[in-house]
Amino acid sequence: MTFIELYALLPLICLAATPVAALAAIAVSRDHAVVTLVTLIGLGLSFFGLCAVRPLVPMQITPLVVMDGYTLFFVGLILITTAAVALLSYQYLERREGHPEEYYPLLLFAALGACVVAASNHFASFFVGLETLGVSLYALIAYQRAAPRGIEAGIKYLILAATADAILLFGMALIYAKSGSLEFSETATSLAGDYSGLEMAGLALLVSGIAFKLSLVPFHMWTPDVYEGAPAPITGFISTVSKGAVFALLLRYFGEVPAQDFSSVAFCFSAIALASMLAGNLLALLQDNVKRMLAYSSIAHLGYLLVAFLAQRELAVTAVAYYFVAYFLSILGAFGVVGILSGSEGEAEDIKDYQGLIWRRPWIGAVFVTMLLSLAGIPLTAGFVGKFYVLWAGVDSSLWMLVLVLIGTSVIGLFYYLRLIAAMFGSPEAPREELRGRRAGFEAAAAVLGVLTILVIWLGVYPSPLIELIRRSAALSGF
Amino acid sequence: MFELLWLIPALPLAGFLVIALMGGALARRAVAVIGVGSVGAAAIVSVGVAAQFISAPPPGDSLTQVLWAWLEVGLLRPHVALCLDALSVTMILVVTVVGFLILLYSAEFMGDDESYAWFFAYMDLFVASMLILALADNLFFLYLGWEGVGLCSYLLIGFWYKERENARAAMKAFIVTRVGDVGLAVALLLIFTSLGTLQIQEVMRRAAQEWAVGSNTATLAAALLLCGAVGKSAQAPLQTWLPDAMAGPTPVSALIHAATMVTAGVYLIARTNGLFSLAPAVQSVVAIIGVATLLLGGLSALVQRDIKRVLAYSTMSQIGYMFLALGVGAWSAAIFHFATHAFFKSLLFLGAGAVLLATDEQRDMFKLGGLRAEMPYTFWTFVAGAASLAALPLVTGGFYSKDMMLWNAWTSPKGSPWLWLGGALGALITALYAFRMVFLTFFGERKSVVSRRPGPIMRIPMGILAVLSIFAGFLETPGWLGGMDYLSPFLGTALPGLPHAKSQPAMELFLQALTSLLCVSGVLVAYLLFVAHPEVPDRIAAIKAGGWLQGFWFSGWGFDRVYEFIVVKPFVRIALANRGDVVDTLFTGLARANEALHSSLSRTQTGKLRDYALGVVAGAVLAIGIMVLL
Repeated sequence: MTFIELYALLPLICLAATPVAALAAIAVSRDHAVVTLVTLIGLGLSFFGLCAVRPLVPMQITPLVVMDGYTLFFVGLILITTAAVALLSYQYLERREGHPEEYYPLLLFAALGACVVAASNHFASFFVGLETLGVSLYALIAYQRAAPRGIEAGIKYLILAATADAILLFGMALIYAKSGSLEFSETATSLAGDYSGLEMAGLALLVSGIAFKLSLVPFHMWTPDVYEGAPAPITGFISTVSKGAVFALLLRYFGEVPAQDFSSVAFCFSAIALASMLAGNLLALLQDNVKRMLAYSSIAHLGYLLVAFLAQRELAVTAVAYYFVAYFLSILGAFGVVGILSGSEGEAEDIKDYQGLIWRRPWIGAVFVTMLLSLAGIPLTAGFVGKFYVLWAGVDSSLWMLVLVLIGTSVIGLFYYLRLIAAMFGSPEAPREELRGRRAGFEAAAAVLGVLTILVIWLGVYPSPLIELIRRSAALSGF
Repeated sequence: MFELLWLIPALPLAGFLVIALMGGALARRAVAVIGVGSVGAAAIVSVGVAAQFISAPPPGDSLTQVLWAWLEVGLLRPHVALCLDALSVTMILVVTVVGFLILLYSAEFMGDDESYAWFFAYMDLFVASMLILALADNLFFLYLGWEGVGLCSYLLIGFWYKERENARAAMKAFIVTRVGDVGLAVALLLIFTSLGTLQIQEVMRRAAQEWAVGSNTATLAAALLLCGAVGKSAQAPLQTWLPDAMAGPTPVSALIHAATMVTAGVYLIARTNGLFSLAPAVQSVVAIIGVATLLLGGLSALVQRDIKRVLAYSTMSQIGYMFLALGVGAWSAAIFHFATHAFFKSLLFLGAGAVLLATDEQRDMFKLGGLRAEMPYTFWTFVAGAASLAALPLVTGGFYSKDMMLWNAWTSPKGSPWLWLGGALGALITALYAFRMVFLTFFGERKSVVSRRPGPIMRIPMGILAVLSIFAGFLETPGWLGGMDYLSPFLGTALPGLPHAKSQPAMELFLQALTSLLCVSGVLVAYLLFVAHPEVPDRIAAIKAGGWLQGFWFSGWGFDRVYEFIVVKPFVRIALANRGDVVDTLFTGLARANEALHSSLSRTQTGKLRDYALGVVAGAVLAIGIMVLL
């Protein structure tokens, strides 16, 4: 590894050093604010490193990772999201008992794992990244040790993710057995010729493992329980960063191995997409628990993304990347609101907690309405433009069946988003627990929500700069 | 200056956002400063842009400022772009200047209203939408402005929504104009599918290349556009909403339902004149609708008791004149009359507003009277507006613009003496009702107490508009009167002119003298009937035919009753018959099916880890099955 290669890894190195620094800071003195500050500085430095290495890309560094425009885009997105989650978590943890400090190193390790997944083009680095992400998440989900549901969610995720990882590993082994390589491009060359049942079985297991991480039907069942049990900011993190990184990998792997050209693989993905869109939206329909509702809706969103994934290449990349940005912003904002409204005991997760929110707390209510409208894909929000591009990608590749289901299920989706909005506009009702009350870090969280709201509307009205950025990033990679 | 163009719609929009978001926290004075100031700033920018446009016209006499592309997929590229040419320059000048004056007036007029902030928020949003409509470079963006002004019109007509009647009037306005809007939307789709673009200049260019004159597509497109214009501009047969729209506050009537929004239809037709030239049949229909509406509105205005309804019918009738001019191809004359009309009609509304404020909302002119001595300032400005409306010869703006339209209706190849005759008759009626209004309100014995006189904030806009109504006419005078022509060559850079008719000074002078005579006699008759012998009108009404005619005209020619009978009643009857929601069963059935699916799917979420693991394994097996076996 030459120096220049090491330098190109600067963002990842910064990100890896930050949790170490944070742990050192905790060892010196337990101070929530200091740890948060270290976290933010580390993320900032890492983002700065991202800008610094931009002229060097694309570059393959060892067989394991590749730094190209695509990696930079997703790593940037992960870093920004992590910073937002950290800021949203501060006031959340401040309210609760127990030590908040170790939360941040765990969050950083998870972000590091996600970045490695997004940058990998080798099964080894993919798996190591995925495990770094996963192990940190088990701890983060169960971070509230006193809350029984948190522990339950952590255990459930641990066991199921271990099962899925086993499946994934077995899939990789089968592919390795046939191609003799763990590099994505190498496995592609072996697949390009004649393909055997062994190899297809490997691919099927790989897809299954990835689908689990993306909580696609029928691997989705863990989602609501985990979303419900995890602290609200972590739920936001799972549904954005961990899914975004794995989807980025999916896009990269099937960019190198154009297996979706095989009709059986395409059929399998289409079936998963159809099932996810239908089941996700239907399950969310009458859900009274807001966190579970958002969990089911995230299943549907990933289904929409699969439609774009199956479309023709360039359009797919643009649509997926744009959709992810819109989805990241909206879902983070939504879980941010849930976090900000949560008291010190339970969380504001019942639809009743939102009754009349717009009259009680107009600003936070307005933020939530914006986020939900964006998730529903209403024009002049980022979500609309994202969905429009996804639809366009689908139409352009004549995926009529998927496009029709996408439209139909979006209508179902509208119902449960509007149901929540209608509740927010209903007559105000005294909340079960007094949610009001300033706490340390409230301003930071409010500022994050403000920025997210502005971005959601800004990108819905003026999407061209982001589209331009995505196109340039895609041009700097193999796609 | 041109690079500041985007500020013109952006400033009122910003004003709207600030007031809407922080309205509760702002003091009334701050609301007024922001609400009026943002439009005032837009007016200043507009004047600057217009000055540069006139002194140093951009190449090709038009300028496009592309702000950004909203979406770019395939052929669909809705750019957010502004287009500046002579037509839009005229439009934005009138909208911002008149808008500013009316908003300034409202700062005092609405002073006691509890929803002061919302009033200014809506008004600013309206001005912003109107400017977007005027500056839009493509029909998609124009449609956004079109719907925006419609929304604001709805919100402001129903501004005092606690009165049931007002809310009903707002809905009526919205629904009736919607009938036309559907036509416009279909026109847009038709144009996009057959020409592949919505960019206005490009549409005109391609239409001229691909569509033959009088071809079916061109006729259909123009007819659908006309539908939209007729609805928005309250022309027959979609005129019924305008008199009811007077339920809104008077400044709203002045700005939206007299000066700007209702002329959006005129603007739309002038903007897409290329399409109408390709559809001569539709263009003749435009002229016929114009004449029909101008007579219908004028005669109805003649018998109204409510001062604002007189003005509403008068607006309808004056826009009818503009449609007549558009129909004979006198595009510039129509825009000229749009400008003078904006000045004198908003002035009349502001005057009427001052009267209503003084007499505690006494709208019935027969219960007013004798206000001349009590409110001299209002009286004189009102007379200036009424004189301009009546087109009193030589000294008023309305005379020159109306004269230009009538002369074009006579000489244009598409015109005819019959159209001229309709217009000339209308001129007589106009003078009659305009001065009937003046005499009933300001002359005779005093019947109401004046509790309050307009303060300086209300007087200034009225004064400025009075000056504008009198002098705006000198932009364009007939040959024997100096032959000034500032406007038509200017507008000629954006709108096609008429083929040069051979000069007939004698004929022109004769016709002018004739219409002048009609106008003056209209004023005299009004004097005789309503000041000298006020018992005569009652005696006419006492005759059977007279009484019937009065009732017929008073109700706006019975359109409401007809629509009630052929549209509303059957619709209600169908709705009643469908009380059990026969049609809805399909949709409730869908909803039920979804709910059933939801509950059966929910049963899979058992919360048991072993079930979840089974799901994962089963999925993997299924995936292997599909991939290996298929």
